[in-house]
Amino acid sequence: MTPVEIAFSKDGLLAKAINGFSPRQAQTDMAIEVGLAIEQKSSLIVEAGTGTGKTFAYLIPALLSEKKIIVSTGTKNLQEQLFHKDLPLIRKALASNAQMALLKGRSNYLCRYRLNQYQETRGQLDAQTLTDLVKVKSWATSTQSGDIGELVSVQENSAIFPFVTSTVDNCLAKDCPDYDDCYLIKARKKAIDADLVVVNHHLFFADMALKETGFGELIPKADVIIFDEAHQIPDIASEYFGDAFSTRQLVELCTDVLQVYRTSLTDVKQLGKAAEKLQKTAQSFRLLFNYDPERGNWREKAKQSVLFQCFQALKTDLDFLYQVIKLCISRNEAIDNCFERAVNLLSKYDIMAKFDDCSMSFWYETTPRHVVLHQTPLTVAEKFSDYVKDSGAGWIFTSATLAVDGKFDHFAKHLGLQQAKNLLLDSPFDYQQQSQLIVPRYLPEANNKNRALALAELAIPLIAASNGACFMLFTSYRVMNQVAEHLADKIDNPLLVQGQMGKAKLLAQFIEDPQAILLATASFWEGVDVRGDKLTCVIIDKLPFASPDDPLLQARCEEVRRQGSDPFSQIQLPQAVIALKQGVGRLIRDISDKGILVICDDRLVNRPYGEVFLKSLPLMKRSRDLGQAAQFLQDITS
Amino acid sequence: MQVRNTQVMFYQLEEQLNEEASDENSLLHHACLQAAYFYRQKKKVFIYTEDQEKAHDIDEMLWAFDADSFVPHNLQGEGPSYGSAVEISWQNPTGRRPVLINLTQTMPDFSGQFSQIIDFVPCEETLKQLARERFKAYRQQGFTVGNQVAVTASKINEQTT
Repeated sequence: MTPVEIAFSKDGLLAKAINGFSPRQAQTDMAIEVGLAIEQKSSLIVEAGTGTGKTFAYLIPALLSEKKIIVSTGTKNLQEQLFHKDLPLIRKALASNAQMALLKGRSNYLCRYRLNQYQETRGQLDAQTLTDLVKVKSWATSTQSGDIGELVSVQENSAIFPFVTSTVDNCLAKDCPDYDDCYLIKARKKAIDADLVVVNHHLFFADMALKETGFGELIPKADVIIFDEAHQIPDIASEYFGDAFSTRQLVELCTDVLQVYRTSLTDVKQLGKAAEKLQKTAQSFRLLFNYDPERGNWREKAKQSVLFQCFQALKTDLDFLYQVIKLCISRNEAIDNCFERAVNLLSKYDIMAKFDDCSMSFWYETTPRHVVLHQTPLTVAEKFSDYVKDSGAGWIFTSATLAVDGKFDHFAKHLGLQQAKNLLLDSPFDYQQQSQLIVPRYLPEANNKNRALALAELAIPLIAASNGACFMLFTSYRVMNQVAEHLADKIDNPLLVQGQMGKAKLLAQFIEDPQAILLATASFWEGVDVRGDKLTCVIIDKLPFASPDDPLLQARCEEVRRQGSDPFSQIQLPQAVIALKQGVGRLIRDISDKGILVICDDRLVNRPYGEVFLKSLPLMKRSRDLGQAAQFLQDITS
Repeated sequence: MQVRNTQVMFYQLEEQLNEEASDENSLLHHACLQAAYFYRQKKKVFIYTEDQEKAHDIDEMLWAFDADSFVPHNLQGEGPSYGSAVEISWQNPTGRRPVLINLTQTMPDFSGQFSQIIDFVPCEETLKQLARERFKAYRQQGFTVGNQVAVTASKINEQTT
């Protein structure tokens, strides 16, 4: 037996250290394959169904290998869970003295310089922000890590945080007077020296694509790279291998230049003029787009002559500002920082002006005040697979949702991992007994005006039968709000509707109030973890196909068509299958969990592609009868 | 609407030994197998039932059917306007389809518009008698009528692959 097999055996290290540990074949199989990939420096893709115990199955062979390891996961919460819960347990079990580190993104660390600056220059604060500032200040004197996650008494979305943390743009880096005490630098150093470091995907790809200068030294040192929640990687990778240019960056640059002009460089009148001019142009650029935030094709949009003229004016004004700042170089560190940003913005501008490049998707997105232009590569397969090959490391990609119809082609093709070994492990759950998949009969069509009413009416008996343990998920805010209105008239259960408050608060209230039901958009539930009886019924209004209006999706589909394949089966279908699998995973978290998934979209029954969904989802009991679904729910609750 | 040379095939259902696998269930099961077979032949099917409840029964069974023999289907009154591969109803068909699976006790009036009809001979005596009546009725219409023993699931799969 190998050390990995011994660790997982009936009376191995895990059984000794962890109460109630019993060896499971799927978990051991995965651990052995992970161990092999590490040893052979090869790549492995594993789908491990919910409940397999995949975290242990990758952490143990990784630690036993005594190599340098990066574990990357989807969210900050998952990072913390790994670092504070799973790793200490395993470390104890293996009696390992490996050094571990947790590294988060820049915005999670206190910036001493900006905190001091802010105290000196702050204007009027509202009462809440002032209270938060006081808490930040007292915490700042004692914190070791500078991780703002320690500040539990301050709300995560407090207005104070942007002022006391840094961004790539406003960080003074080596010129910073507080450089030696910088928490971010310390955290990075610790990560580089550690044997195992826990990061998240955004951080990983920022490092890989060298989007943060002076970074990029973390991954080259790793021998083993493990991605959990790996289904998220293709999209995140595309984002980081692309570029963005936003009016927000322009306006922030202008604000900072004006600040410098008013405080220290008052003699350079042109600075003020140039910054004000660019600021105005940036604002009028936003006004040329629709009032409501939207996304669209930048290549198409730039054909509008008025808009394109304004886009060119941005360049003229930015160029002028750059020339003026150039004359002030090395008068102080703040203006030097502005100069670098202006140079950077000019080069970003040039990227967005070259929108004829066919290998890229050019798209824009607007917020109430700003416009962001994006350039995203249609495929990252080549870049990514080269990177994997050159790294000489073992790469593990795992998630509960990677395979479509039992195959990994979709995922592997995205990342150029066709050579990787595949492993598919079923969940130990008995989905036939624990769950049901319901598609109700005679649903009104998607564009029928009575659809919201029909959805509300079919939900009412299910809400009653589940005793409020119910999520309703929608593909559009419009339908969500309509259904909420109908429900408010008809039932007494408190309705928690997305948008009423932050996500975390919404979920906390949902768990706290047994009668409350939750209405949200479909993207809401990725990462949601509600165990047991508080979630037994999930109702989805439509199959989770991405909006066909999405410009990046359009560009990818166009590319697939050019290659002579069918974009629906290659892109849209696999993506929707993965999204739905994620959903099922949220419903059944545990061997004792029970629940039903109601999909109010009869395309699942009447289109040929229904087969792909059914073959990819766990084997739930299928029915179209809402009456017996309600009975099933009642039996769970009673 | 009439087609020439309508072919009718009767399938004799085998005696069911345990109670759970009743005549009724066996009938539904074989109807599903037939629907799956014609779907894989790319022939559109109309399943005609006695009433709405029976239509829902067959709908329920087709939906719960083995994912490897998935059959896209709809009840009349739901789904795409042109209907899916298999349409189920207790009312007259609206569009043109080549195959009829008859689950009622009499010969449907509209039988002549189908080029292929699948019907069943249950084991229970009165039902068997009604099947004989239908057999005659089809023949009186000038259709070519045959019969054979209903094959088991594994054999149908062999046929399709």
